[in-house]
Amino acid sequence: MPRRKDFKKVLMIGSGPIVIGQACEFDYSGSQACKALREEGYFTILVNSNPATIMTDPGMADVTYIEPLNVEVLTKIIAKERPDALLPTLGGQTALNLAFFLMKQGVLKKYKVESIGASVEAIACAEDRDLFKQAMQEIGVDMPKSGIATSVKEGMKIGLGIGFPLILRPAYCLGGSGGGIAYNKEELERLLSKGIETSPVHQVLVEQSVIGWKEIEFEVMRDCADNVIMITSMENIDPMGVHTGDSIVVAPAQTLTPQEYTDFVYLCKKIIRRIGISGGGANIQFGQNPDNGKIVIIEVNPRLSRSSALASKATGFPIARVATKLAIGLTLPEVMNQVTGKTTSFFEPTIDYCVFKICRFTFEKFPHAEKVLNTSMKAVGEAMSIGRNFKEALQKGMRSLETKRFGFGADGRDKITDLMLKDPDVLLIKQIKDKIRIPNDDRLFYLRYALKAGLTVDEIFALSHIDRWFLQNMKQLVELEDKIREQRNKSVDDDLQIPVELLAQAKADGFSDVQLAFLLNTKEAKVKQLRKKSNVKTVYKLVDTCAGEFNARQPYFYSTQETKDEARSSKNKKVVILGGGPNRIGQGIEFDYCCCHAAYALNEEGVESIMVNCNPETVSTDYDTSDRLYFEPLTFEDIMNIIEVEKPLGVIVQFGGQTPINLAVALRQAGVNILGTSSESIDIAEDRKRFKQMIDKLGLLQPNSGTVFTFAEAKKVANEIGYPVLVRPSYVLGGRAMEIVYEQELLEKFILEAAEVSGEHPILIDKFLEDAIEVDVDLIGDGETFVIGGIMEHIEQAGVHSGDAAMSLPTYTLGPDILKKLREASYRLAKELNIIGLMNVQYAVKDAKVYVLEVNPRASRTVPLVSKVIGVPLAKLATKVMLGKKLKDLGFTDEVIPPYVAVKESVFPFNRFPGVDVMLGPEMKSTGEVMGIDMDFASAYIKSQIAAGQNVPKSGNVFISVHDRDKRDIVSIAKKLKDLGFKIFASSGTASVLEKNNISAKVLPKINEGRPNILDLMKDGKIQMVINTPSGRIPRQDEVKIRSQVILYNIPYTTTIFGAQATVNGIEMLIKKDLSVKSLQEYHKMKCKKVKID
Amino acid sequence: MKAILFLEDRKSFNAESDFSAECLGEVIINTAVVGYQEMITDPANAEKILVFTYPLIGNYGCASKFSESTKVWVSGMVMKEKSKIYSNWQAKSSLDDFLKAHKKPAIYNLDTRTLTVHLREKGPLVGIISTLEFDHKKLLDKINKFKQQPIKSLLPEVSTQKLVSLGKPKGKKVAVLDLGVTAGLIKQLGTLGFSLKVFPYNASAKQILAIKPKGLVVSSGPENDCGLEAVAQNIQPLIGKLPMLGVATGSQVLAIALGARLTRLKLGHRGVNYPVARPGTFKGEITVQNHEYAIDNNSLRKIKEIKVTAHNLNDHTIEEIESKKLKIIAVAYNPVSAGFDQVNAVLIKFSKLLEK
Repeated sequence: MPRRKDFKKVLMIGSGPIVIGQACEFDYSGSQACKALREEGYFTILVNSNPATIMTDPGMADVTYIEPLNVEVLTKIIAKERPDALLPTLGGQTALNLAFFLMKQGVLKKYKVESIGASVEAIACAEDRDLFKQAMQEIGVDMPKSGIATSVKEGMKIGLGIGFPLILRPAYCLGGSGGGIAYNKEELERLLSKGIETSPVHQVLVEQSVIGWKEIEFEVMRDCADNVIMITSMENIDPMGVHTGDSIVVAPAQTLTPQEYTDFVYLCKKIIRRIGISGGGANIQFGQNPDNGKIVIIEVNPRLSRSSALASKATGFPIARVATKLAIGLTLPEVMNQVTGKTTSFFEPTIDYCVFKICRFTFEKFPHAEKVLNTSMKAVGEAMSIGRNFKEALQKGMRSLETKRFGFGADGRDKITDLMLKDPDVLLIKQIKDKIRIPNDDRLFYLRYALKAGLTVDEIFALSHIDRWFLQNMKQLVELEDKIREQRNKSVDDDLQIPVELLAQAKADGFSDVQLAFLLNTKEAKVKQLRKKSNVKTVYKLVDTCAGEFNARQPYFYSTQETKDEARSSKNKKVVILGGGPNRIGQGIEFDYCCCHAAYALNEEGVESIMVNCNPETVSTDYDTSDRLYFEPLTFEDIMNIIEVEKPLGVIVQFGGQTPINLAVALRQAGVNILGTSSESIDIAEDRKRFKQMIDKLGLLQPNSGTVFTFAEAKKVANEIGYPVLVRPSYVLGGRAMEIVYEQELLEKFILEAAEVSGEHPILIDKFLEDAIEVDVDLIGDGETFVIGGIMEHIEQAGVHSGDAAMSLPTYTLGPDILKKLREASYRLAKELNIIGLMNVQYAVKDAKVYVLEVNPRASRTVPLVSKVIGVPLAKLATKVMLGKKLKDLGFTDEVIPPYVAVKESVFPFNRFPGVDVMLGPEMKSTGEVMGIDMDFASAYIKSQIAAGQNVPKSGNVFISVHDRDKRDIVSIAKKLKDLGFKIFASSGTASVLEKNNISAKVLPKINEGRPNILDLMKDGKIQMVINTPSGRIPRQDEVKIRSQVILYNIPYTTTIFGAQATVNGIEMLIKKDLSVKSLQEYHKMKCKKVKID
Repeated sequence: MKAILFLEDRKSFNAESDFSAECLGEVIINTAVVGYQEMITDPANAEKILVFTYPLIGNYGCASKFSESTKVWVSGMVMKEKSKIYSNWQAKSSLDDFLKAHKKPAIYNLDTRTLTVHLREKGPLVGIISTLEFDHKKLLDKINKFKQQPIKSLLPEVSTQKLVSLGKPKGKKVAVLDLGVTAGLIKQLGTLGFSLKVFPYNASAKQILAIKPKGLVVSSGPENDCGLEAVAQNIQPLIGKLPMLGVATGSQVLAIALGARLTRLKLGHRGVNYPVARPGTFKGEITVQNHEYAIDNNSLRKIKEIKVTAHNLNDHTIEEIESKKLKIIAVAYNPVSAGFDQVNAVLIKFSKLLEK
């Protein structure tokens, strides 16, 4: 049926900031949807608070709003733009929930907006536990026994009726947050009260546990003609009990019989029809009892999801694009399959490889969090790998994670060595068994240890319930590993003895050169040499949706060991872009954004783009972002294999974050042409000694510093430069293991931690500039001309990692003299490093002096934000500059200072790690960012807070407890709060200062000294905001409790005095005038000030 | 041990085998991810060398209840990786043991993807699997000899030898002409409550009419068989007298009986993901297919009573024809169960043609 003509304007809602459970897969799906809508001629309006997305690029939609995602703001946008339809299925749970609440509050009805893709009834049926249960009962689909509780008492009754173990799931919660498994009465009670709090509708599902059952997922699509197709099945290697977002997943399912498969398909069809999706897709999750095949339904997501992004990338089927086409009334037979170029989307992809997905965790950032996996998602990113067998895919997947591991162990980095495993003692066996029994992020390695220590597949199955098929394949790897080891060299310099057949088998089962070098006691280069000599060649095969049945027009590639290479290397000019790999804290969507822009720019310049990445969530791994996509791990070996096939004129390493930067030197040494800023300059920026020489040469300032290897050296250096000092390892991203040390007693502990992360590299000790203002500068250069993209002033004082800090663009307190100094320093640095491409500099400003903290000769996290604010695509320009173009010719020669203000705020995953302190420091902890934009700083700032999920109050009670050095500043803040009508509660110390300044405050007792204390008030909903600055580096237990409780109850909080100031000013704005909305296109029409280079 | 797959166009593929073997046949590819046991026990695949495009085969083992017949009909199998373990609660044995019991070779560690692309480009080819002979010339000789063998029909082998009663004894009587019928089809017809009388392939119209059936199902079986023409002639007199359903090869037999011709596809439709839809509509089904021949559209146009009710959306081959007047339905695809005890919609449609 032709597309619907009864509407013209479509509103799309994005998913907001990157959080655990909702990452850049929704930028991928949203961008595909934008393209699909515009292809069909609809006028599209896009709202998303996340500036780091491709979808919010001004060209993606007709009108783009970077505004907070809540009902109030959405209502304003709807009233202003008057869309006919709303497409809520591509922006994750956020968009779906918003659509639901817009319906509930009558907004959709009032403005005559139709929800397309999934009707509000369908959304309600899938999301409301009651309606869902009813629906499943109606069509005879079994569910785990369950009941819905709206109170702890009710929940206890239901739970005790079903029996333990029980799973608890709060309704309308992302990635299962706030849920958990209860094995006894105490745990049930605790989880119930938490779940009821967490759920926005205060509902918790108490459910029979099917822990240990197989977890099987299907991606299903249905059009308005009732055509239903399965995109793929997926089998979770981690059985039920681990959130699917944390599970290791394979596609297709490996252990189902055809009858079981068709049974699942039958259920899927029944379910999608009953839920009522008639122009879109759904992800359906089942549990299956491995002993008798009994199937229960777990969940239906009536929208694009993380799993659907994975299914898309695994099969080549662009689910988001097709879902959008179906939403506007087209049927599957009418939508072309762009990968084959000759068939339609009405078919079921079939694949001739094995897909493996593995998650990246970040427990190291939250040392106090329990290192276990359960039904509440904790992964911050994922990697996908493809192989011709499971073993190859597994090994590739494990090295794709970039956790310095190069496969399924056996890479010289195993915590438990082979020697220990040869004759394991009881304790070791117990440790291994525990690590297998209780799911955790290291479990795969422990499975290997277990197999090496002689545990049988059946024993391991009994502990883990991981299907024997997977375990047996792992065992085959362990056996092969032993076989390879028999060929071990006595001395590193010996020639390799390994027979060609064994080498070929090792490569076919995914062993990397690093693993082989370790097992054979040789060097990586020697393994490579042998491969070349003995013609054990890596070839590339296609992801083509059809297992080779049709000659695909636009496939993508994966490496494997087979007889024929299907790579489609051309003779054209081409450039390889190295992506950022799996998302992690410190390296995420911002870098993927830059990689995509590089591909677009190459296309504009008539140069072929070749993307290398292994992150299935991203736009960069979409089939049509680059000319050719290699879905491969980002290791030296894998990249060199591609380069040898493609022979590009150069490689771009500036855009993928630290991953490609770390490979730059090795690639250059292998004769690869690094485009843009030289790897020599990269080394100067990364090497502290060479960096210091440069700073001195340029007459710039830098905090006093030294490099050390031991605690003794550290003590000496710290005494010389004076406390507080900043301790950090070199060559890391996101401030890993970075600490501010105020006194010698604590120095040793932090030096030890840093040494572990730093490895053979030295530890850096810098003077910490207390109370300085930090500034980030992004700059672009072509070797001749250098132009500042943006100068961003941090809102928090120095010491908070720039990835976590809120920032204002343009600056909001810095005077012209300082700005001049910042500009001069930036240009001097860029010239000296001969920047061709992008550069980011971090400064600290103290006592009118400008100190250089760090120079990164690559794209920074803020590039997408700056590009969007100033309306100049910096990453694109940088790519063109790297190809030899000049900024003058590209028309960008002046720094742009907009008349409006944008504030970036960071979003943190604290709610996933119960009990951790929310304090910010030099180690980055945020997963994502939002932007608030308005005509003045206070409005932009408060928008950023709302967008980040802070429930900013306009009235109520504020609790204040601040560190002594903040007491002076808190007076004016408290005064303003009073004037705005807030009531103030305070700790005794803070209260006495306030009292002296005639500000009345109710004193609350210390937590152990009386009730009701602050915790009680928070729990009762009597506190609307918390201002708490830490008392010292080692926080008091009281404070940690308060700060972790604000997370639990989602109370707005600030832990810095500057943050408090900005928030209170913002609240004043909020009370005095209503927030207004403006599109990016409207902002870009405003006249900007231009600053000429001197 | 080492093994080889050698094709008539002299293309060779190295592989491995667990026991010594040699076999010949037309090399066909199937793109389904699961269903190896069903495919190799389906008489329709008799004497073929079957290549699985999915690389991991044997994962869920084997059990006699998965079989479409009591024999493994393919002459050999080609796969990327034969699983060393099977894991499913229903499995009774490994694929290896199953094949050993049926004495059928499976070669593995072969670049099945390259083989698939080769067949896609070259069209149907005869090949030889061997662990005994690796000399290309000698292998080619064997292929040529195989091709020169006198043509013989497989129908006597795949069909029942005598009339068999199946299904529900008290149900509506339906005759099944067994050209290599699958257990799956019999099971579904049983679910519909029919009393089934399964006839040998060479049953005459008179013999069939003699039991007074309400309808006739002409089953799937080997395609392009030299015996099919005679079957078509046998049932020709039944046209218009008895509601008839032709399934897969059975549909081709019906088409011939109606006076249509068949054409050979460059690459057979073999897999579980083929879209079919009624011409001119947007509503269709994803079907299981296993055919390399299709009803020729031009020859069909001349037959007024017949309408094309479904065609393949990828290449527009005819997948379903119907005559309301003659009460005939013929489906080129395999009308498999939609899961659990569900009966395929085509079979239900057929059951509605039968008189009370």
